[in-house]
Amino acid sequence: MAREQPIKVTVNGRTYEKIVPVRLSLADFLRDHLHLTGTHIGCEHGVCGACTISMNGRSARSCLTLAVQADGAEIVTIEGLRAEDGRRHPMQQFFLENFALQCGYCTPGMLMTAIELLRDNPKPTEHEVREAISGNLCRCSGYQAIVDAILAAAGKELA
Amino acid sequence: MSDARFVNERMVGSSVIPDEAIPLVEGDGRFLNDIKLPGMYHVAFLRSQHAHARLNCVDASEARRLPGVIKVLTGEELLGKVDPFRSMPNRFSGGESVQHWLAVDKVRFCGEAVCAVVAEDRATAEDAVDLIKVDYEPLPAVTDPRQGERDDSPLVHDSCPNNYLIKREYQRGEVDEAFRNAHLVVKRKFRIGRKQALCLEGRGCVAGYRENTFALTVWMSHQLPYVVRHYLAKHLRIAETDVRVIIPHTGGGFGQKASIYPEEFVCAWLALTLRRPVKWVEDRIENMVASTHARDQYIELELAADCEGRILAISSDVWVDVGAYSTYLWSAGMEPLQTAGLMPGPYRIEAMRYRTRGVATNKTPVGPYRAVGRPSASASLELLIDEMARRLKLDSVEVRMRNLIPVEAMPYRNANNLVHDNVNYVPCLKLAVLKSDYERQRSEQRNSRPNGKLRGIGVACFAELTGLGTSTAVGPGTLLQPGRDAATLRLETTGVLTIAAALPSQGQRIMTAMRQVASDELGIKLEDITSITNDTATAPYGFGTFASRTAVFGSGAVIKAARELRQRILAMGAYILQVPIEELTIANSVVQTVDRSKSISLREMAEKSYFSAKDIPQEINQGFEVTSFYDPKFGSFAGGAHIVVVDVDPKTGQVKIIRYVAAEDVGTIINPAVVEGQIIGGIAQGIGEALLEELVYDEAGQPRTVTLADYLIPSALEIPRIELHHANAPSAALGGFKGCGEGSIIGALGAVVCAVADALSRRGGDIHEFPASPERVLKGLGVLPSDGQAGRGSE
Repeated sequence: MAREQPIKVTVNGRTYEKIVPVRLSLADFLRDHLHLTGTHIGCEHGVCGACTISMNGRSARSCLTLAVQADGAEIVTIEGLRAEDGRRHPMQQFFLENFALQCGYCTPGMLMTAIELLRDNPKPTEHEVREAISGNLCRCSGYQAIVDAILAAAGKELA
Repeated sequence: MSDARFVNERMVGSSVIPDEAIPLVEGDGRFLNDIKLPGMYHVAFLRSQHAHARLNCVDASEARRLPGVIKVLTGEELLGKVDPFRSMPNRFSGGESVQHWLAVDKVRFCGEAVCAVVAEDRATAEDAVDLIKVDYEPLPAVTDPRQGERDDSPLVHDSCPNNYLIKREYQRGEVDEAFRNAHLVVKRKFRIGRKQALCLEGRGCVAGYRENTFALTVWMSHQLPYVVRHYLAKHLRIAETDVRVIIPHTGGGFGQKASIYPEEFVCAWLALTLRRPVKWVEDRIENMVASTHARDQYIELELAADCEGRILAISSDVWVDVGAYSTYLWSAGMEPLQTAGLMPGPYRIEAMRYRTRGVATNKTPVGPYRAVGRPSASASLELLIDEMARRLKLDSVEVRMRNLIPVEAMPYRNANNLVHDNVNYVPCLKLAVLKSDYERQRSEQRNSRPNGKLRGIGVACFAELTGLGTSTAVGPGTLLQPGRDAATLRLETTGVLTIAAALPSQGQRIMTAMRQVASDELGIKLEDITSITNDTATAPYGFGTFASRTAVFGSGAVIKAARELRQRILAMGAYILQVPIEELTIANSVVQTVDRSKSISLREMAEKSYFSAKDIPQEINQGFEVTSFYDPKFGSFAGGAHIVVVDVDPKTGQVKIIRYVAAEDVGTIINPAVVEGQIIGGIAQGIGEALLEELVYDEAGQPRTVTLADYLIPSALEIPRIELHHANAPSAALGGFKGCGEGSIIGALGAVVCAVADALSRRGGDIHEFPASPERVLKGLGVLPSDGQAGRGSE
């Protein structure tokens, strides 16, 4: 098998054509090749959720996805959440105002999951929020402020 | 740009939204792994697969031939060039342990670094690690501290007889007499498992060569920048002034990033030797075996009580499995000395005795982690208090009320020689009882459960010594006596105030807290204050962030410096405005007379001070930069009470938390929302410690929990909504502040394990080993056979 392969991938609205090692993870591709370091790596085996990104409209673990698997895909990372005029995504604002982050390492993945949740279920219960983010580990907050931020966001229309 | 959720007139006490969180929420955080330097090499470590083995031969020839590999470094090559980590002398030391940065002659735990590979990229470095051949000769492993202290045990270090790294015996008060005269003596053996901090971001460093004017610049995911600088210089045998340490955004610390480890020091040596920047980032498997572990105690605790449930004396025997080396800086004494020494917690205890040992084993070293020692000690004592209460037919709240140190008895010196200064233990318990509707909880518990679940209620009170000044040891018996930190306040030419201190944040919003304090002291608007806390090139000396000290020290130093700076500002204002100094005040970044008839903005004044210095007499223009050191001298106790209601499923052994109420005294609060986050986060880690988290080793010393699929930390589903209340009493420190980062994990472990034990007691069961996994719960109920390790002692 070839050690490298060409891929064409759209990230945050911009299309890249790159030749990548076949063993390169999507997370490393985003971080090291595209310099999009907002996506974090916490466990490298798909448990902690820090590396969660959006791939073709669904959340995905970029540490368990190979860059070559993303060939042809449409990807959104935390760097793509901002509006064109530079304003924060409402979910980012709710996280900030609700003190929903401490060290901030889980935050990018948590935001991606939270945004997907409210897209699919705009009025979740507290339990549904906890269920939805149960695949994103946070070691600092005890989750309460995160849950509150998402519930607060659900009270408002998301852009 | 700053606004606040609840704005008071004073910034202290307001939930100011922290500017410092903005890059983190926008994906612009700069964590260690985000740093890239031109020409940077990458490092990977070959780690021991054996718990204990002789290193006969390391053959790296094939690895060295792999294209892209720059260097393979072995322990032998470093001998004589750098100084290894010798265990810090401690008054209670057993033998000495010497930790080479890369193993020499022997490996002593699975995960110990043996070789470092430098390559052009990390993947190549890891490929090369796989090509290194090591001839290990396995040796018998020590894996249990109670076996390890025996005369016939194999030794982890030949220099450590009976594998004692730490040993202490202590007695105060008439212990024997108290036990002889007691109405009741209860005794139990407890076992608290091994766990780890599990920062979501592991350790790591980038070591730069000749960046700016420094021979060595190290970016490190760490809590103590100046301490790192001091020890880098010392062990690399270079000048401290040649070293700069910068702490990037840090993905959790919790004490795990407060120790000195070999890997970062290897990288620093490599950068200086190769004259190129190198980077190493710990992966999760490395983090599970190469970053310090915590807890791991065997505790035999005995309590003497009178007929009314008052504690007359306690006596404990503690064994801590401290792992293969004395953790560098803090020594192996952390868990052993604090578990036994802090056993009394918030209770009035006149007589106590303990014997405690830190026994070396062939496991990862145990180091500092949130609330060292206290959670295990507190949980043991709380469980025993409940046992006493059951025997005396007393309610668990009532028995605690009878033993807590009341406010009117303070300052109170406890049997462990610590002084409880001003802390609301009793008011916190009363508040928790009220808010949890405790009486109703008990009456509901008495009614049969239609769903077949066993309901348990746990009550735990705790004490946490915070903000330790120079007169109180952080690590008992060690030479380390931190307790003095500095802050520099500088009014910039634009009138903006910069606060510099070496107190990095791992999410505690230290910068925001110091800005709030400075704003109140100086009358400068919050948005005109900036803060930098992570760089030895800009910060005055400080010990760093650990031991619930940072808000106390940072704020104290800011207050002292601000008072001096304020005088300088007012003196210049008086000269420029030609009014008496007493008529001046500073508000909203403007110096003005009380009647507001004359004023000058700080911006204008600062410009004049720097750019029109000839117009102002020197004795008035003293410079708008002040550095102050602060030492609170003693520590301040924080404390609280937690009440937890659980349902235990007797079929599956699963524990579900139904209600969680916490009442805490954390002194004067700077930013309520931030403090709430600290406390709730601590509770979550305590719940994990009580129910889920355990690092398991087999009898050969092989770690069985090296992924997050094996080592479980709580998700949002395991953590209930926490109801948090406050009964705060100000401390004697400047500003009345106490630390709040650690206390809540103590209360959480105690309250949850007591709730589980209470539930099991409804069916005649009991539990002494934690975490309370489903298996242990079922053993405690007699559904599964018990292995009889911990439990009922002789009475």
